Amino acid sequence: MGREVSESCVDNLIIEMVSAYCNRFYESKPDLAARRIEAIGYQVGLQLSERYTMERPRFTDHLEAIKFICKDFWSEVFKKQIDNLKTNHRGTFVLQDNRFRWLTRMSVDTNQTNTDSSLDTAENKETQSASMHLYFPCGIIRGALTSLGIPCAVSADMSNLPACSFVVRIKG
Amino acid sequence: MIVCVSVVGHQNNPLYLQSFTEEDDALKLHHVVHCSLDVIDERVNNPKKTGSTLNETFLGLLYPTENYKVYGYLTNTKVKFILVTTDVDVRDADMRNFFRRFHSAYVDAVSNPFHVPGKKITSRSFAERVSTIVKSFGLGGAV
Repeated sequence: MGREVSESCVDNLIIEMVSAYCNRFYESKPDLAARRIEAIGYQVGLQLSERYTMERPRFTDHLEAIKFICKDFWSEVFKKQIDNLKTNHRGTFVLQDNRFRWLTRMSVDTNQTNTDSSLDTAENKETQSASMHLYFPCGIIRGALTSLGIPCAVSADMSNLPACSFVVRIKG
Repeated sequence: MIVCVSVVGHQNNPLYLQSFTEEDDALKLHHVVHCSLDVIDERVNNPKKTGSTLNETFLGLLYPTENYKVYGYLTNTKVKFILVTTDVDVRDADMRNFFRRFHSAYVDAVSNPFHVPGKKITSRSFAERVSTIVKSFGLGGAV
């Protein structure tokens, strides 16, 4: 029997976690905060992939594992699949989500009544804080793939807000 | 009767090992489990020889010794479960069922936020659950 999780609670928890690491623990060191958040995601990914791969045959190659992440894993976590998967067939995969769930409620405040130069920095700040929220899902993907035996590095790209893409680079 | 179950990590590091015998042969059982790791490696890396078990998590009978039969199971996350039994004929379905329940117990144990991935499983509730599964396996075989 599936147990239910309140989505707004999860949203709040993640927002609070990111803000705690960015504004309280490592206020002056955003790099360190990002690493910590990614590490939390990594452990979550390890545990989730253990659970979601329970009833399925073992994967034969990397592509199959990535497809699993795009389809089943993503639908378990975000109730939708990845919209687009691209690869260069040399170990780099781009997973694009046109409406990433954890970014749908994020707003970018462009209505700043400031001078031009400070508007730029304000926007910059918004992008930075939004990208902070992507370290956690990056960690989840890295954790899931690592536990499937694929060591990799994951980074995120934000185009226009609810859409984002994750770039997976397989090591070795 | 199941005499020993164990969980082995992806680098062949022991995560959990429990024997269920009265006698003092734990060391011997550890040895049997240890030997079976090579058999698992061989099966996974040469899937041609085994044919039908290709990519299935349940690896079936790994090898029989004089007194024991050793069964294996390999998860997607490269974690191995090894079971040593003294039963002569075990139904495949029973064994699959056992490993499925064991796997879900394992997943619950590693999902504990206080569990450190790659370290031994020290959870008491996991140990209890495992011994329940092991006991009920014996019953299932008898009925």
